[in-house]
Amino acid sequence: MRLAQTTAEKILARASGRDFVVPNEIVEVSPDFCYSHDYAVFAIDAFEQMGATSVVRPERNVICLDHGFPVNNARDANNHVRIREFVKKQEFLAFFEGGTGIAHQVMMERGFVVPGALVLASDSHTPSGGALGALAIGTGESELGFVWATGRTWLKVPPTIRVVMAGALTRGVAAKDVVLTIVKQLGVLGAGYKIIEYQGDAVSSFSVSERFTFCNMSAEVGAKSGIFPSDDVTEAFVNGRAQFPYMGVRSDPDANYAGEITLDLAQIEPMVALPGREDRGVAVSEAAGKKINQVFIGSCTNARVDDLAIAAGILRNRRVHPDVRLLVVPASRAVGIESARNGDLATLLEAGATLMPSGCAVCAGAHQGVLGDGEVCLSTSNRNMPGRMGNKNAEIMLCSPATAAASAVAGCLTDARTLD
Amino acid sequence: MMGESIKGAITVVGEFVSADIVLPARYSFLPPAEMAEHVLGELPAEVNRGVRSRPIIVAGEAFGYGTGRESPARALRAAGIKAIVGGPFARMFFRNVVNNGVLAIDCADIVGSGIANGDEIEINPATGGIRWNDRVFHGMPTPAIIQKIVASGSLIEYGRAALADMARASS
Ligand code: SF4
Repeated sequence: MRLAQTTAEKILARASGRDFVVPNEIVEVSPDFCYSHDYAVFAIDAFEQMGATSVVRPERNVICLDHGFPVNNARDANNHVRIREFVKKQEFLAFFEGGTGIAHQVMMERGFVVPGALVLASDSHTPSGGALGALAIGTGESELGFVWATGRTWLKVPPTIRVVMAGALTRGVAAKDVVLTIVKQLGVLGAGYKIIEYQGDAVSSFSVSERFTFCNMSAEVGAKSGIFPSDDVTEAFVNGRAQFPYMGVRSDPDANYAGEITLDLAQIEPMVALPGREDRGVAVSEAAGKKINQVFIGSCTNARVDDLAIAAGILRNRRVHPDVRLLVVPASRAVGIESARNGDLATLLEAGATLMPSGCAVCAGAHQGVLGDGEVCLSTSNRNMPGRMGNKNAEIMLCSPATAAASAVAGCLTDARTLD
Repeated sequence: MMGESIKGAITVVGEFVSADIVLPARYSFLPPAEMAEHVLGELPAEVNRGVRSRPIIVAGEAFGYGTGRESPARALRAAGIKAIVGGPFARMFFRNVVNNGVLAIDCADIVGSGIANGDEIEINPATGGIRWNDRVFHGMPTPAIIQKIVASGSLIEYGRAALADMARASS
């Protein structure tokens, strides 16, 4: 008997050496690829405390420093030194110095994340790799140390829910607005322990960058991961870039799902998640005029070439409002180079933006762009719980690059479609 | 030993407490004892006192959601926490907690049951049963692999034993 499988089930079956798996069973898997960032130092601790001496399959491991760079204290600097020494000694496939970009972005653009792969990384936004049809799952740092030491770990096979998208977005509405709508509908743990697979006729209209935004914020509904089916868009991106052999995987037409959401994209409005929780989304038009002090166009969610182009398009021949700081952080150096070449970075700087090195920056809440008490940051990132940007007495709202740019001009929350 | 029950007094923590609130990112690199001083420190001071003096937390919906950093779990362990019940929990937080030797049991029923700070409960990891006075709540049974990790003390201890087994098998 043939058992109909979802994309995630097929990938987990292969990675556990089985013909099929069923939701909720626990399987032992060997990941195809693993990566980490600054917090790898804790994985090194765990690895050494386990008594391990050599990493299993170092040729499938990469580290990319992103969370705290350039470093602002000796302790973190020493941790970075330790990581550099470890990757050299263990002969990891690659190491990316701080400033290369946010690890999730770098792994995608350098071809380390490939369709059909099981990817593990010690970060909660690992699901971003689902943009390329990989099953990309976040682990803790001890757990990554365990995978380095043994080459495997255990996973519970998650049920899959699907988000079926039809129709087309109207002008000025972005993938971010759709995913903020989904997060609002599901709630912050609405897809807890589950996979979200994005399906429907509209899927083929989304670029890899937009798919990345969807999969990235799947973490905000508690999902184990988010994933897009491998299609022509995936292939066009991966072809010539992939570091490993790959095989795209798609759900069987009769696969079983634990739930379904359908969305008509034509109905989606520009959205903003109000402070405190990612699921507090409302239409920007309903909250327009809310005061802001800082605008952050950055993070793994929305700081790619297309995002910066949208922001530059709005800020061209305009100025950032004098009461607002606009911080721009390209998701990677490669993004920065392209946006410099096409003139978008110059446009943003001319408008009054402050450009910061590629990395997590403000989003990581540890060393840059911290807010004062009572201040409000409008951000293209993915999280807005209290304290996320380093001060629990400040507020964060989440939006698309278009809304961020328009609001930076107006000095308050603004629907970009209303700028004249 | 595997399956041994966990008994002790509880501290109640509300719903939608993110992992960034359990321990903010800026404290991630502190030594354990100092982390314990900051655990849940963003909430009223009695919460931190509670979790450092009682071994079990009854936590509301989505406890630990958000960041996948492991430092919040390390901080709870450092504070002396042995088990967290309630939830449902965010998955990375759940894994990080058990990997640090702290049992976590999804048991939505105990949240809002009227249980209060200082009350004693007894947890059976294998069955997920939680006894509070004469009431029993039915939480999620703990899979064998998680029972083993928690019983080892942490994933590090479990990993040490697994590596030793692998070395024996190949020699
Ligand atoms: S940009 Fe923010 S969400 Fe993305 S990896 Fe960095 S800290 Fe995490």
